[in-house]
Amino acid sequence: MFQHAGGSISGAEPANTLPRGGGALRLHQVSKSYGGILAVDDVSIALARGEFVTLLGPSGSGKTTLLMMIAGFVTPTNGEILLDDRNVTTEPPENRNLGMVFQGYALFPHMTVAGNVAFPLEVRKMPKSEIDSRVRQVLEQVQLGSLGSRYPRQLSGGQQQRVALARALVFMPDLLLLDEPLSALDRKLRADVQLELKALHRRLGLTFIYVTHDQEEALSMSDRVVVLRNGRIVQQGTPSELYERPRTRFVADFLGKSNFVPGLVESIRPNGFSYRWGQTTLFQTGKMAKPGSRVLLALRPEKIEIVTADRRLPNQLTATVVNWTYTGAAFHLLVNTRDENQISLTVPTWRQSTCPEVGEEITIGWDSNAAVSVDED
Amino acid sequence: MIELPTSRSFQVTTFWAWIGLLFLFLPLIVIVPVSFTPNRWLSLPGTDWSLQHYADLIGDETWRRSALDSAIIAFAATFAATTLGTIGAIGCWRVSSGLSDAARALMLVPIVIPSIVDALGFYQALVQFRLTDTYFGVIIAHTMKGIPYVVISVSAALANFDLRLEQAARGLGANMMLAVRRIVLPAIWPGIMAGAFFAFITSWDDLVINLFIAGRRVSTLPRRIWNSIQDNIDPAVASVATLLMLVTLCGILVYLMLERHNAALDQKEAG
Repeated sequence: MFQHAGGSISGAEPANTLPRGGGALRLHQVSKSYGGILAVDDVSIALARGEFVTLLGPSGSGKTTLLMMIAGFVTPTNGEILLDDRNVTTEPPENRNLGMVFQGYALFPHMTVAGNVAFPLEVRKMPKSEIDSRVRQVLEQVQLGSLGSRYPRQLSGGQQQRVALARALVFMPDLLLLDEPLSALDRKLRADVQLELKALHRRLGLTFIYVTHDQEEALSMSDRVVVLRNGRIVQQGTPSELYERPRTRFVADFLGKSNFVPGLVESIRPNGFSYRWGQTTLFQTGKMAKPGSRVLLALRPEKIEIVTADRRLPNQLTATVVNWTYTGAAFHLLVNTRDENQISLTVPTWRQSTCPEVGEEITIGWDSNAAVSVDED
Repeated sequence: MIELPTSRSFQVTTFWAWIGLLFLFLPLIVIVPVSFTPNRWLSLPGTDWSLQHYADLIGDETWRRSALDSAIIAFAATFAATTLGTIGAIGCWRVSSGLSDAARALMLVPIVIPSIVDALGFYQALVQFRLTDTYFGVIIAHTMKGIPYVVISVSAALANFDLRLEQAARGLGANMMLAVRRIVLPAIWPGIMAGAFFAFITSWDDLVINLFIAGRRVSTLPRRIWNSIQDNIDPAVASVATLLMLVTLCGILVYLMLERHNAALDQKEAG
């Protein structure tokens, strides 16, 4: 991809080919209903210049509708969209100056690579000579310099993706919208492109809005992630905020994996509380209303460890190994507690070179601040 | 090639397939020798074959004029039907609502209604404007008969068109007209051409409408053939028919060759 010599898109580039700076975007109470069904329900988001924001959600969460409204292909039923304080709610897409990389890239099949990249400059009535030199520069930067005369169908998926990116950036847009741009690439290439996109974003300082259903992409690239469900914002924050402090069961489950521990609060302690899960009493830091109330705790598999004889943790349970898998970096274990509750845990292989056998009884444990209390939804 | 099994049932099927083909083509093929008869009436030539009727045809001013009339009308009607039909189909596709579906269905009506009913309607309407027996009148009528074929084939092409391509064009700064011209039209071009082909055939082939609204000043080939079989059965008719078949055959051959050429080009590029 663009990685040679410190990234070619992000590396030494001639002046004023690619956009600099970027647009601020504000969505104010935006809704869209289709025949009475709300696809997007009262969403407000403010994006600062140069931010990398990911709209994350399962299919049907309204993330694509939201992106289509920002791009101008869908008109909101209610609310306002402001681009650098300019109200663009009803502006047609061609007046918004936004770059967009579509899912599947939407390259024009009857035009060459150079023709595709020249298109946004041609419709802006730029002089022919300037178009030619800009197209050449941009293609050079995405390492497609020699492929300008090819047709899209003659390129690999990764090359097509770079053409789409070059086409979306060549006219210096205020904002770059990306609609699941990596979904057509294979796993290894996807990881490379994630790095490249992140580097490109840092280099250009352009506002990126990235839509995906892949939590891994969202966590790895974004400054901020907005989690959507049923057309509403469930939670937004930095990737680590969302991962470490999910507010609801949905967020804890959608971003990464979680065990869910339903408990009954027994007593309030200094810095925390104790609660009952089946036969066991467990401890958790944080505030809880009063004894007798119900609590739901989300517990990441990698925060649980196998307790050896010489260690003592605030929360300990005896459990039987039901199943395990090996991924090279870690063992994933599925265990059954004495109350017949299943817990999954991830143990890095550098800590534990061999895995307990299926049926073996082990002690598992976690720290008092390992879990986080979430809302059932 | 794949070697097919020659079982008994397969032989029977082949036999009937040939019968079917002969059924389709014999009436056409029999015309060809008739056109070479030396006699002045419709008959199969014996040992003498003659080009006399072809010579008559070329020498006859009225036949030449009819051929010209047919060509003028067919080309003009094809152009008008293709333009209007394409615009109509794109409009319905862009709006894409219950109303536009209804509009598209209405545009297909001329195919469904029997030609003779249509022709009567055209006659009534054109008389009002004194357009009977004029090029303009016949072209209007043929355009309306051709539009449905264009709408059908362009709509089919649009159904396969990736909407994101148009969105991409708009997002990159093209207004709707420009996006249609630069992106949509090239993508649906084969559909437009197919529609144009059918519109052309419809006009070229039409007799019924011509019988109602034209005849003296404007007389197309089918109309001229009709007239000449009514007066006396002149073998020149067979010559015209043969020539028409030859022209059509050439058209199809050129089309097939172009298609093969394009396919070969595609493969070369892809490889």
